[in-house]
Amino acid sequence: MNFSRFFLSLAAVSSLFGQGLNPADLLKPPKDSWPAYHGDYSGMRHSPLTQVTPDNVHQLSLAWAFQTGVITNLKATPLLVNGILYFTSPDNVWAVDARSGHQLWHYSYPANKGFHIGHRGVSMYGDWLFYTTPDAHLLSLNAKDGTVRWNVALADAKAGYWSTMSPLVIGNHVLVGVSGDFDNLSGFLRSIDPETGKTQWQWDSVPPAGTPGATTGGMTWMTGTYDPDLKLLYWGTGNPTPVLTGKPRPGDNLYTCSIVALNPDTGKLVWSFQPSPHDTHDWDAVETPVLYDGDFDGKLRKLLMQASRNGYFFVLDRTTGKSLLTKPFGPVNWSKGVDKDGRPIPNPDKEPTPDGRLIAPDEGGLTNYRAPSFDPKTGLFVVSAKPSYSIYFSKPADGTYGWSGADYSVWSKAVLEAIDYKTGDIRWEHELGPGGAGAGVMTTASGLTFTGDSHGNALAIDTATGKTLWHAGTGAPIQSSPVTYELDGSQYVLIGSGGVLFAWRLPENATPKTSATDQ
Amino acid sequence: MISLFSKRLGRLALASSFAASSFLLGQNAGAPPQTTNPAVQTPSVPRQDSKATTAAPDTDTYPPELVKNGQDIFGQNCGFCHGKDAGGGESGPDLTRSQLVSQDVKGNKIGDVVRNGRPEKGMPRFNLPEMDMAAIVAFIHDQKTKAERKKGGRRGVDVSDLQTGNLEEGKKYFAANCASCHSAAGDLKGVASRFQGLRLEQRFLYPRDATGNVTVTLPSGKQVTGKLAYQDEFVIGLKDSYGWYQSWPVSSVKFTIDNPAEAHHTLLTKYSDDDIHNLMAFLQTLK
Repeated sequence: MNFSRFFLSLAAVSSLFGQGLNPADLLKPPKDSWPAYHGDYSGMRHSPLTQVTPDNVHQLSLAWAFQTGVITNLKATPLLVNGILYFTSPDNVWAVDARSGHQLWHYSYPANKGFHIGHRGVSMYGDWLFYTTPDAHLLSLNAKDGTVRWNVALADAKAGYWSTMSPLVIGNHVLVGVSGDFDNLSGFLRSIDPETGKTQWQWDSVPPAGTPGATTGGMTWMTGTYDPDLKLLYWGTGNPTPVLTGKPRPGDNLYTCSIVALNPDTGKLVWSFQPSPHDTHDWDAVETPVLYDGDFDGKLRKLLMQASRNGYFFVLDRTTGKSLLTKPFGPVNWSKGVDKDGRPIPNPDKEPTPDGRLIAPDEGGLTNYRAPSFDPKTGLFVVSAKPSYSIYFSKPADGTYGWSGADYSVWSKAVLEAIDYKTGDIRWEHELGPGGAGAGVMTTASGLTFTGDSHGNALAIDTATGKTLWHAGTGAPIQSSPVTYELDGSQYVLIGSGGVLFAWRLPENATPKTSATDQ
Repeated sequence: MISLFSKRLGRLALASSFAASSFLLGQNAGAPPQTTNPAVQTPSVPRQDSKATTAAPDTDTYPPELVKNGQDIFGQNCGFCHGKDAGGGESGPDLTRSQLVSQDVKGNKIGDVVRNGRPEKGMPRFNLPEMDMAAIVAFIHDQKTKAERKKGGRRGVDVSDLQTGNLEEGKKYFAANCASCHSAAGDLKGVASRFQGLRLEQRFLYPRDATGNVTVTLPSGKQVTGKLAYQDEFVIGLKDSYGWYQSWPVSSVKFTIDNPAEAHHTLLTKYSDDDIHNLMAFLQTLK
């Protein structure tokens, strides 16, 4: 079924979804929900809520903390649907009452041999949750009790695939991606029927493994975004393989390190843009493709913005995929400039060598999976950056399979940056400590930015100035992105840190509880 | 099996505090050179286990079933960063070439790192059952043995890979850029005997474990000086000359930090790759 007709039919039969999630709600999420990984389809992670303001945020206090009891770093973005939170770690899914923080159920996936490095969360359609596993399966769970409804294999875990991502639900499509760059494997994005688990379509990011001279890689390990008007979904793809040597894969290596626009009904490619042609530094272009309709060079345009792992901030026209702006947002020394299409030109002298090359940024990149946020009022794209230097090595003995070299980061620090989307200029910087900070960013319409520093402090920052207004030590490095919603008249802010999910709100007697401008 | 792993929490902190005083801090010029080699350290507090500091490298063989089990557990928990074969992965070093692994005896060093993590390098801590830890240790040592037996063309960074620089150019670079803090005959004397290859290069690019000195001025006017031990936006902490940790809210004190290692960061923005290789050629002569 064509999805525009599908959404129309949903409106007529929304009672079918009962207490579950009507996929039509994803088009305009109610304020008492956070129904998808990015909160909505835009990837802006910008909340319209205004109860917590720059003037009262200093009163923010703990509502509850949920302890998973698992030694893990929570990397998941929790979903909130009908007062229930759903979130994950590798092999674990929890359902928790968003009012009290008490557990409703806990699902545990059987022991398996995939990488257990993190998990980004479930997605929801009707009464069903969708959960990817370390051994590259997709499960459908009953949201009422966590029982398994079906379990399908996405790819061969023995060959080296795994999955950590939160699927994107568009109409009756569950879009699922995979990871797997430790082996020379082909990436793909797959659309799965939410009812049956059957494949609807698959888009392959590279030719089949073994194609002479062709690259492998292009994994699809982060959640994309969607424009319901253009009927295009946007997805970032990962690095080519072998990772640190480009010799066996000459050319640009399409569609690795790319942003692609696909038709959600068919999976057909409409356009592509490649932030890192012929990557040899592991710089996946999977960071959120953030969608915003705004002024650019005096024209109202449908924009797509990405702060990419390779150190460049990109603005594209998302109707055509044409570049509007390409500019580094921190130290970058690996390119010879930008070509006529807005793509950085990789410098062959900065490919990894037997005696080493000093590269900025390091392999973890100037940013990574931690979510950025866009604040429309100030026009600021706020991203947790990691200025860094690393030495990259590769020699014939490292072979041409999988990693094929090594890199050693020598220095890095964490900085929150507010990028003016029209110019790429950095409006303010806020130091977040040594090393790197793993927390993502969320902005709110009241002018607040929530994130975390490299020590594990949760921070509320004034979006206009970059000044800290509130903080709380969480006791572990934060590796997740904040979310917010309003329940029973109270705005909650949630951040997972270590194995604990923290929920903050204003105290019952907080003043003022309405917008600061009322004073 | 449990007896293989006596808990020595605090060992990691101890090791890093020794390392902090190592060669690249300019203020140590003229002082007796300290090293990170535990065999010649003079601990300032009693060690619970002196054996670990003198034991020969672990050349024991491990039961194949323990190694096989270790391969699975290593793959799930460590493989992403350190590679499924322990030869290096995304951001984690090649463990088959790790100095810590070469000094490890049945997990006495690996166990500490796994349990405590290395927060300054982004490694989380892992709470694994003793049996799983024993299996991981067996797998790492087995991989190391296998890698070392491989004749010629070994993967990873060899000392011989890093010999492409020009000694004379390196000497000039040192005189122009390093000699204001360091001296070949002083603090860096013998540095090439203490560090070789990649470790030497990493250390001169940036001495990660170097800490600065901080002087805190209290509201009373009293000053406290020590090694910088913690700093975020809200709290400043130091270790004083008695070894005590003290901290204050930054809003109520004034402080100044002297961190000579910051000069290494400045150089990172200026080096050409040739500069690095030439400097390497020169520093390797300081035996």
